[in-house]
Amino acid sequence: MPIDWRIAIPLLLGVAALFAVPLWFGNFGVYLVMQMMLLTLFAIGFNLLLGYTGLLSFGQAGFFAVGAYVCALILQQAPSLLLGVAGGIVAAGLTALVLGYLSVKLTEIYFSMLTLSFGMMIYSLVWRWREVTGGDDGLTDIPRAPLTLPGIRIDLSELSHYYYFVLLATLIAVWLMHRIVKSPLGLTFQAIRDSAVRAEFVGIPIRRFRLLAFVIAGLYAGLAGALLAPLERTITPGYAHWTASAEPILASLIGGLYVFAGPIIGAVLFIGIKEIVVRLTDHWMLVMGVVVIVIVLGFRGGVLGTLLRWTGRDAEGKS
Amino acid sequence: MENYLYQGLIGLTYSMYLWLLAAGLTIAFGILNILNFSHGSLFMLGAYFAFTLYGVFGINFWLAVLLSALGVALVGAVMERFLFRRIYQLELPFQLLLTYGLVLVLDDIVKIIWGGAFLVPPIPPLLDGAVPLFGRPFPIYNLFILAVGALVGILLWIVFDKTWWGRMARAAAWNREMGATLGMNVPRVFTFVFMFAAALAALGGALGIPMRPVSPGLGIAMIVQAFIVTVIGGLGNLRGAFVGAIVVGMLTAYSTMLFPLFELFLPYVVMAAVLMLRPQGLLGGR
Amino acid sequence: MKSNRRSFLAGAGAIGASAYVSKYGFAWAQANQPIKIGGQGALSGAHADYGRQMRMGATLAIEQINKAGGVLGRPLELNFVDEELKPAVAVRNVRQQVSDWGAHFLVGIDSSGSAMAVGPVLAELNRICIFTHAATHRLTEELCYKGNVRQIFRASVPIYQDSILAAYIFAKRPEIKRWANIGADYEYGRMSWAMFKHTLKKLRPDVEFVADAWAPFQTLDFSGHVSAVMAAQPHGIFSTPWAGEAIGLLRTALVMGVFEKAGVWWQAMGGSVDVLEGIAGQLDRFNNKLWGTGRYLFTWSEEKTQRLNTQFVEAFNVRWGRFPNYSAECTYSAIYSIKMACEKAKSIETANVIKALEGMTIETPAGVRTYRPEDHQAVYPVPGGRAVKLPEYPIPVIGADLAVYPTKEYYRWPPFEAIPT
Repeated sequence: MPIDWRIAIPLLLGVAALFAVPLWFGNFGVYLVMQMMLLTLFAIGFNLLLGYTGLLSFGQAGFFAVGAYVCALILQQAPSLLLGVAGGIVAAGLTALVLGYLSVKLTEIYFSMLTLSFGMMIYSLVWRWREVTGGDDGLTDIPRAPLTLPGIRIDLSELSHYYYFVLLATLIAVWLMHRIVKSPLGLTFQAIRDSAVRAEFVGIPIRRFRLLAFVIAGLYAGLAGALLAPLERTITPGYAHWTASAEPILASLIGGLYVFAGPIIGAVLFIGIKEIVVRLTDHWMLVMGVVVIVIVLGFRGGVLGTLLRWTGRDAEGKS
Repeated sequence: MENYLYQGLIGLTYSMYLWLLAAGLTIAFGILNILNFSHGSLFMLGAYFAFTLYGVFGINFWLAVLLSALGVALVGAVMERFLFRRIYQLELPFQLLLTYGLVLVLDDIVKIIWGGAFLVPPIPPLLDGAVPLFGRPFPIYNLFILAVGALVGILLWIVFDKTWWGRMARAAAWNREMGATLGMNVPRVFTFVFMFAAALAALGGALGIPMRPVSPGLGIAMIVQAFIVTVIGGLGNLRGAFVGAIVVGMLTAYSTMLFPLFELFLPYVVMAAVLMLRPQGLLGGR
Repeated sequence: MKSNRRSFLAGAGAIGASAYVSKYGFAWAQANQPIKIGGQGALSGAHADYGRQMRMGATLAIEQINKAGGVLGRPLELNFVDEELKPAVAVRNVRQQVSDWGAHFLVGIDSSGSAMAVGPVLAELNRICIFTHAATHRLTEELCYKGNVRQIFRASVPIYQDSILAAYIFAKRPEIKRWANIGADYEYGRMSWAMFKHTLKKLRPDVEFVADAWAPFQTLDFSGHVSAVMAAQPHGIFSTPWAGEAIGLLRTALVMGVFEKAGVWWQAMGGSVDVLEGIAGQLDRFNNKLWGTGRYLFTWSEEKTQRLNTQFVEAFNVRWGRFPNYSAECTYSAIYSIKMACEKAKSIETANVIKALEGMTIETPAGVRTYRPEDHQAVYPVPGGRAVKLPEYPIPVIGADLAVYPTKEYYRWPPFEAIPT
């Protein structure tokens, strides 16, 4: 496949800039960029469900929280970052497998409502299972454990060191997701989204594929959550609440649901807009709400989708 | 035994607030076919309006409640005319997102206007006090709420089943083109329907103010309760919303008393169970 | 052409001038740079009065200090934001205030959850935060004392006040044997009830704990909770919801006739000014059975600091037209504690100021506070008592049957034995 330099060069520059962030910015800038990367992971997983498979989940924060809590609990016992993150991802994936199996039988609003109730069950569980989760005070003092591989031990207690770990994880995960959606699997998801009836007619077992998308979305939510625990060093039940599930939804919508990079741009904009607005006024929710309304009324392709349309490069399918 | 009956009546009072809220949500969904995330925010707005009129300006309680419902109905008219009308044709995710955007906007507007204002205004003298019931004093105000809930139920049944107006609205919901060819001004009917739904939510919010704290998070807290109620009863089904409200109110009251550990958890379990076993809801037909 | 040259000259002049300022103006600017204090508390919702009172207290202290010449010759500057009672928001605020705005010290924080989330971040940012309301004992006992986050200090008395003091008071009421709990359904409420039970049972083995009901944060309707515990016919009710929720709960309890049946109602933070204002119209209906305390009562101070308190309450009244809540006094005193510690250390470096604060004693409106060196908890007594109307105040106050216990008795002390829950 020939390389499209018009995409490759900005991409390379962007990645290079990401590596340079700790050199240029202070601690807070580094922290913000990490927040953007975590929301990116959360949102691209979510958008595999909505943008590519047509299922709107309101319970993704539940999987995010499972990833965060399991990672935190592991780190408090065994200080190995990889073990913690892997544990968080696996736990979130397993939870998504079970709840997804029950959820994908439904579609449309019923699916959204069922995932909402599952997410809130996880929230209630985290809130009430105080012996394990610390109740509403949450888990505190989570160590930012070193990265240990046979023969290597990298200390990550500095925020900027941990940044590189998150950056690598994000790049790998985004690349993997890109592979998924460009593969025949990704095309199958889109076929289900565009017409479940037709997909079923040509012999696609739609429920199994929906479940697969659900589990992948859960894994990505779990990864984002697992990376968050050592960053914040405290996690509380609020991360599982349905209002937290709205964040990847808003990010994907802002960036563009039907373009691969949509949720990524959306995550950057979401955190960025919030940060700027918070400095100017206390009322960032108002601004965010207006942005959402304007996008739904006039720019349903999101920022990226709209830009691509204007430049005549409407990429994939729906607008 | 008496304690259980007493607790049941307390739960039933909560059910009536939920019913007022869920009724509007159901009407909007059943007729306009839109699931309105910001319906809880209208409930909150009703509470803040009444709180200002009655608690701050000292206007007569009944008038304050009435004016709040009217005021929120006007807000609803603006919302329907300028926002919802443009999204009736869109796919569900976009509808939900737009109304969620409204939740954020209304929440912040409330913060800007009322900020940290806080007051629990007095109960109107007529409804203050308690009567003995099941061996314990039962608040007259709760009896009043029970009565309002029942009245609204009867009123809705009459409006939608017995009047020309209600039949017209349902006809428009069933088939928009047909409504139009029959000479009906469908957009205007829809605006009125939504104003009505908004007023019901506001009524619930306004009636709560002498007993319950109002705060900007109220809309978000209430809308999930309303979703649980309508899902259990059957989306778009008014009788279902009534039954759902009773189920959730009872569940909350009895779990508070018997197994407080599961109070948060149980409504969601019931909601999920209904969705998995009977997605059309307890009273939903096919 | 001409205008071009002029603008060139002007530009060059500006560059030259700014170069001059940046070279020679620096040392001068450094000495007058303000010492920045980042604060946060609940500024919206039913609990908003706490954050506003914090801001009022902090602002008053800073105005007074700056008028008197500042700290180490530098003025103080405040940035106060809404914590929304959400831990994630609180952590973000702290990071922004320190890493971006450049805060040297932090104060405030209402919610226990937020405090526990901020704690470990303080170590990473190496900034002192003096907490002025968050009440969980775990903040000082676990994070500071056991977890060794030395940047944590607390000016306000923790849940010892809500629970252990109550146990001492009601141990002397032999007729109150059956206790029920309407608890705030989070760590604050749960631990308060656990400590109360634990202490009271030791003092009075004959009491029974007959019911609990738990009200989650932002409870919409308390009638189910009141009704559930009243079914068990308790003599005393121990209640921990606070601020606006406390007012809603007390209203519900009134109309459900609780104050005709039960003997006492302990509203832990009932001494909060917003609660006292909220019940003002209906005080008689509580039949003298409503008890409470606060982390400071504007009507009471130790003998040694009584004058200081009178001056503070008056200054506060003049500046804001209200009585100071405990969150205001604690934040006011936190600012003065920072001043004293910086002057003692002759430095604003975190490590030096920590050393100066440890064991430091300071006279404040509430009383003489000493920051315990082990866990950095300020030690000072606050009484509990009955809500009454006194002629000299326009709002009800905790002013009858006042009970003051020595802090040696009712504070928990290192090495903090575990509390059975």
